[in-house]
Amino acid sequence: MNTRKLVLFLIGISFAGVLFGSEEMENRVREIAHMLRCPTCQAMSVKESDAGLSLNMKQRIRELLEEGKSEEEILQFFEERYGEWILRSPKKEGFTLLLWTLPGLIILVSFLILLQYLRKRSRETAGIDTSPLSKSELRQIENDLKQL
Amino acid sequence: MNKKLYFLLGISFTVGLVIVLIYGLFYASRPGEIPSAQIHKTAKSFQATTFDGQAISLKQFRGRPVILNFWASWCVSCRQEAHIIEAAWQQYGSEGAVFIGIAINDTREASLGFIRRYGKTYLLAPDDKTGTISLDYGVTAVPETFLIDKTGVITEKVLGAINKKTIDRFLSGQL
Repeated sequence: MNTRKLVLFLIGISFAGVLFGSEEMENRVREIAHMLRCPTCQAMSVKESDAGLSLNMKQRIRELLEEGKSEEEILQFFEERYGEWILRSPKKEGFTLLLWTLPGLIILVSFLILLQYLRKRSRETAGIDTSPLSKSELRQIENDLKQL
Repeated sequence: MNKKLYFLLGISFTVGLVIVLIYGLFYASRPGEIPSAQIHKTAKSFQATTFDGQAISLKQFRGRPVILNFWASWCVSCRQEAHIIEAAWQQYGSEGAVFIGIAINDTREASLGFIRRYGKTYLLAPDDKTGTISLDYGVTAVPETFLIDKTGVITEKVLGAINKKTIDRFLSGQL
């Protein structure tokens, strides 16, 4: 009886291991498929697409993972065949790097120019005498106003 | 900094932005065209078994120009080009040109039906279940045709139905 229980327990453990392993594998397939552009669809990843080519790509990802290939190696596999275009996040180099950095650069330079401009204005206003008027000055202004 | 300098800086940024925008829109890529990483590269060799049971390998055709076409029976544009490719095969096959058609994401029965319907007689084989050949060539849709020169280098990729003019132009320089 105890042996039967042990055997059932071991079978259960093995079954759970297989299920857990395949679930983990599918998660990894989905993660990598999400990084690849579906070749036949508009603005969709391979993960989201059920097009024939996307299904083939998902199967190939699965095979490559089973062969022990890393995420980087799998992405490189598809890049070699389809070009950088297949990657949903293109590498940040060349013209792409310029596109990535330009908005930040523009904001930074604009901020520096604005800062410089504000400093200049503050220096100019610093030279103006803002002390209260004397009694004679106030009297003079009142006289001038009466004459108007 | 004086006003003139601010003005110059503003103008420089605006002009720079416009240049980048024009480059990105018109020169960096053509929206209607998917770039291919295979052009000017040696075509990956593959092995396949034709629908009539003949084992073929791309390697065996080295020294001859190859027109490698990916198709499927469910593809509308493939019907459009079916007669064109078959006619070109009839015209250039005897001169040494090789025509290979790889059916992808298709059932064997449907492919055979298509072959019979359009009277295709050149080398026609199915891709395997996981599309090994089409993935190796970076196929994005069907039909897609790769023009492989005598040295085994891919010189051109045609997306969509191929026309006679393109085949004539390619083979006139190869045969």
